Amino acid sequence: MISDIVAQYTTPEASLGFGSEALPSQRGFLSGDVAHQFNSLAFDLPRTQDPVDFLHTYTDVKSAEDNLIKLAHGTTTLAFKYASGVVVATDSRATQGSVISSQSVKKVIEINPYLLGTMAGGAADCAFWERELGRRCRLYELRNKERISVAAASKLLANMVYSYKGMGLSMGTMISGWDKTGPNLFYVDNDGLRLKGDLFSVGSGATYAYGVLDSGYNHELSKADAIELGKRSIYHATHRDAYSGGSVRVFHINESGWEFISLTDVDDLHWEYTDQARAP
Amino acid sequence: MDMLATNPAVHPTSTAKQAAFSPYADHGGTNLAIAGADYCILASDTRQSSGYNINTRFAPKTFKLSDKSVLATAGCQPDCNMVVTRVKHSMKGYKYTHNKEMSTPAIAQMLSIMLYQKRFFPYYDFNILGGLDEEGKGCVFCYDAVGSYERVPCNAYGSASALIQPFLDNQVRNKNQQGKEKVTEFDPVARLSIDEAMRIVKDAFTSATERDIYTGDFLQIFIVTSAGVEEQLHPLKRD
Amino acid sequence: MFLTRSDYDRGVNTFSPEGRLFQVEYAIEAIKLGSTAIGIETSEGVVLAVEKRVTSSLLVADSIEKILEIDTHLGCAMSGLTADSRTLIDHARVEAQNHHFTYNERIPVESVTQAVCDLALRFGEGAEGEKSIMSRPFGVALLIAGCDERGPQLYHTDPSGTYVRYKAKAIGAGSEGAQTELQEEYFQTMTLNDGFKLALKVLKQVMEEKLNVSNIQVAAVTSQDGYHILSEEKLQSIVEQL
Repeated sequence: MISDIVAQYTTPEASLGFGSEALPSQRGFLSGDVAHQFNSLAFDLPRTQDPVDFLHTYTDVKSAEDNLIKLAHGTTTLAFKYASGVVVATDSRATQGSVISSQSVKKVIEINPYLLGTMAGGAADCAFWERELGRRCRLYELRNKERISVAAASKLLANMVYSYKGMGLSMGTMISGWDKTGPNLFYVDNDGLRLKGDLFSVGSGATYAYGVLDSGYNHELSKADAIELGKRSIYHATHRDAYSGGSVRVFHINESGWEFISLTDVDDLHWEYTDQARAP
Repeated sequence: MDMLATNPAVHPTSTAKQAAFSPYADHGGTNLAIAGADYCILASDTRQSSGYNINTRFAPKTFKLSDKSVLATAGCQPDCNMVVTRVKHSMKGYKYTHNKEMSTPAIAQMLSIMLYQKRFFPYYDFNILGGLDEEGKGCVFCYDAVGSYERVPCNAYGSASALIQPFLDNQVRNKNQQGKEKVTEFDPVARLSIDEAMRIVKDAFTSATERDIYTGDFLQIFIVTSAGVEEQLHPLKRD
Repeated sequence: MFLTRSDYDRGVNTFSPEGRLFQVEYAIEAIKLGSTAIGIETSEGVVLAVEKRVTSSLLVADSIEKILEIDTHLGCAMSGLTADSRTLIDHARVEAQNHHFTYNERIPVESVTQAVCDLALRFGEGAEGEKSIMSRPFGVALLIAGCDERGPQLYHTDPSGTYVRYKAKAIGAGSEGAQTELQEEYFQTMTLNDGFKLALKVLKQVMEEKLNVSNIQVAAVTSQDGYHILSEEKLQSIVEQL
């Protein structure tokens, strides 16, 4: 039963009862402990028998259905490992239903100076859980006097979201970084799936990105070529996928951590690539 | 408990498809914010409606939080109200704990987490937080209902947002305007004087009032500068 | 003080008729058995210096850690029952990370000090709604050093949960002599390097062993570089300046 899972990981509001003085959304709010209300991972739940059904009714968790509360969604992201590091590239469009809510979203999340996450699915889900991951990685580092490996970090994230499986989280992320074993890349999603790999693309435009990426990918690429491949793959995805667009953002990871490479409007890229095609 | 039950069997009058628990309502209205180099302007109309019925002509939904920050809310009024109350309450607690006023970027992060804690029972509330950051620069943060947020040079939320946002993109961000410097995320402030920005704000609202039934009555403007928050009230059409 | 020992020193939460909590006072005494630790606040940053008691040639000096990182802008030196400090420092680290998580800014030095002190009196049976975490008071004193928007700051906490800001403070076995020395030598316009030199000079005077680079540990917290432990080469160059 989903309600058992729910009860296990959250404080059900219904348990407060109607006689209780504290209002549901004020848990930890009237109790006077202001500073600590944000530190626990406890989430309020609607007082219904099936909170998941409630969420499906009122929010568009997965698609562009015309629901009341439209959540921001992320779209084409990719990351690949090659000889001298990892390239991470994303588009920057967020849509709420069919409205473009932003053309300047940061879908690369800087977890810490040597770990990057990407955002696809629910923007808030990715941002919140990767922020939580950042907190845990930093504590790991302080307690163990060494950085957490990418494998361990991605597993922390996978375990965190797994405990909310079935409740409607929406997250498809790639955790990448450089640790003792070199460059590393993992895919983690809201079902708790965690995969190690050399090359991933996530989001509604991923199929288009994969086409370009697979045809141009080679482990021995130069850094400049690798970055260009990432950029071009995202550009083609924005061209064919209506939910992707805005600008192409590129990051690169090597042994000294991540580095921001570029942010280019897809319109500028369009004319650049068109001119290249026309050149004799 | 009966009124909250979703099981139609215990709810004789409900049909199988009816959702018995319906906590949300859209109360309309529009908010807008522009961040400048040393100022921030937040504006909202004061009409509140339920469907075609105008509940009241003066229901402010933008609130001063401190001398440096203002929060604009749009959506379901009770949810908006609770968010504002909780933010103010937390700011007070923060002040007593840390002996300083919470900065606008700190409020921005806190609000995001506050909204996400309602991830499974969201506030129906779309927020814009505006003010000055630690360096005295104007800043605007816009949110989705569950706490995804972004720092932007300008934003419009609410019933007329689809009418106003493209106008702001063009006039404030200089999007698709040849020969004009684009406003990017690396320096997300409008290249406008405070008077130019005020003209854009007023034009946006008078125009939106002409085309959106949920926007009108009064325009409330908050101007945040290093001198504090100045509040203005202008009439809009009441039809 | 030990001569006036009475029945009232048995319970951790029982006042004596004179209004004293003996167990807390004894805990403060425990600090005086610890190795000496010194903190000096300068305009450029805060210096933390501790002596390591290398009691045997078989002991690996590097394994003694008496200065720890709380966050990038916060460090902490300790004296007393150092094992007790683990709980306090882990709490401080968690509080620092929670603050950053919630507000996207670094926790103020005073706030993290307050957070540590909040734990100090959580012994005994535990108040309503709060779990007690220890059966006795902590037997450790901390020097918390950090830099925030109010500049470099040094705080001293003791087992009673009291914290006070100091310009320069010594704790541990040699603290009385060291504090007198600090009082005489401290001046307002000190640079960070003056701070290093003064800290080592005072340590040298109060240490039983001869001071060398392997039986001391020195750290600094500055606005620019944050918390960092000084390398052996850097220590050597300061020792040579003495």
